[in-house]
Amino acid sequence: MVSPSATSVPPWAREPHVEPADPTGRTHTLLVVGPGDGQTGTAVRAVAAGWQEELGAAPVHRHDCADAAVAVDALHADLAVARVGHRVLVAGTAEACLAVRAAAVRAGLADDELRFGAVAADVRTVWCVHCSATTTAAVAAGGVVACPGCARSLLVYEHVSRRTGHHLGFMVDAEDQPWEESA
Amino acid sequence: MSTTAPAPTAPRTATPPTALPAPGLPAPLGAGERLALVVVAVDDSVPGVRSLSLARPDGGALPSWTPGSHLVVEVPPGAGRERRLANAYSLTGETVHPSAYTVSVLRRDPQEGAAGGSAWVHGLAVGDTVTTTAPRSAFPPVQRATRHLLVGAGIGITPLVSHLRSALRWGRDVQLVQVCRGGRGAHLDEVRALGGDRVTVLDGRAALAAHLPALLADQPIGTHLYTCGPADFMDAVLAAARALGWPESRLHLEHFGLAALDPGDPFTVTVTGGPTLEVPSGTSLLEALEQQGYDVPHLCRQGVCGECRLRVAPAASTGVHHRDLYLDDAARAAGDCLMACVSRALPDPATGRAHLEVSP
Repeated sequence: MVSPSATSVPPWAREPHVEPADPTGRTHTLLVVGPGDGQTGTAVRAVAAGWQEELGAAPVHRHDCADAAVAVDALHADLAVARVGHRVLVAGTAEACLAVRAAAVRAGLADDELRFGAVAADVRTVWCVHCSATTTAAVAAGGVVACPGCARSLLVYEHVSRRTGHHLGFMVDAEDQPWEESA
Repeated sequence: MSTTAPAPTAPRTATPPTALPAPGLPAPLGAGERLALVVVAVDDSVPGVRSLSLARPDGGALPSWTPGSHLVVEVPPGAGRERRLANAYSLTGETVHPSAYTVSVLRRDPQEGAAGGSAWVHGLAVGDTVTTTAPRSAFPPVQRATRHLLVGAGIGITPLVSHLRSALRWGRDVQLVQVCRGGRGAHLDEVRALGGDRVTVLDGRAALAAHLPALLADQPIGTHLYTCGPADFMDAVLAAARALGWPESRLHLEHFGLAALDPGDPFTVTVTGGPTLEVPSGTSLLEALEQQGYDVPHLCRQGVCGECRLRVAPAASTGVHHRDLYLDDAARAAGDCLMACVSRALPDPATGRAHLEVSP
């Protein structure tokens, strides 16, 4: 068993968890990621409301976004004019949070400028090391998912790329193949 | 069975790639290895500051170094110095295949409590031999930064000179703010010539206090801040940055001219498999071990260099009072190591007993 603290998977990508807002920030971007209706939308708005209460009078640029791609666009627009002292908060599913984190990391933000509130952590994106296809599935780390690109059965490894937000997937039965026996 | 076309192959070059030719370059130095260098030039043009150029006796190229690196110079005993000193001085010259290492040293008067290392440097002459470590990097530029903001005071400009030169060479956004009295100071002409309008020179702390909040409030989010100068100056810079929301990951400081530590409370120490010693107030753990004949590797004796790190057995110890500037928070929290030159035992809150068990 891999020790959770020794992997690259953030705690909020294992199970739903909301990090506290950072009161030392001077200004904040708040990305509320999820469709307007339904359970996820309700949950992320509750997280956002909690953060806004924590932050009190600090200036907060709030963006309600239908999905992670919209949130990433809003993030880039804010970062283009942001000064050091700015913080970014992301409320969404773990999948959306990881996607936005990847964009933030690529834009040069540091871990201590980012806070996440994941309202669900059952769905993750898995990147296949064999064919580079990415699949989205309700699968836990340690589980197995079929790769849509090469049909291999992928073990979802306890590793998330900071640069892409995808979990690492590799062939689960690579050591149990016919060519091994015929050798 | 289907056949697939062979993958296109990359065009072959006539000769296989080889390592870049590097004739005459020195082999990297091993840990703890020393360089015997000769003073080849002395520059005393700035009052109180001496710039030394040190080269190999044979004139050969010296190891390259990362911007912000320093050299630890051995100062022999004598002239009131009881024991050998090891003083860290920032390198200010060329970083790549240098033919000389240059350092600038502010003279601090032994009559006013200085240990005497800088006075010794100010007594050196061209042709004298100096023993140093290889360059050590503890203040490097962050490659991911979109801007490098350098804020120095007094002789604290020295590590920032190499930062400025490197950033300009690689086309990185850089700004340097230097505080000095009367508009005079070491390396000022050099950084002005290098950086042009990227360099701001402020006369005194009051000018800095007026300039700093607006400067720190208006840096693009990818900026990293590097500061070097007297401890109270750096505290002021960092406090201003934190007040404006700068996160710790964007703040970098280079210590020198440390404030004296208090003598500390007495404690006992057991060397694993060896005797138990008393460490009185005013005596460091390093000194106590040396008095018992233990040879603990060390350089700076002020909690900066990291050489005198000892392992601590947490279960057999009451806790470590870390007073160094070397270990990071994770290493401190683990409680399984300490810097013998400055750190001491933390008493057990219940019994008041203060004890450490250490091993090399």
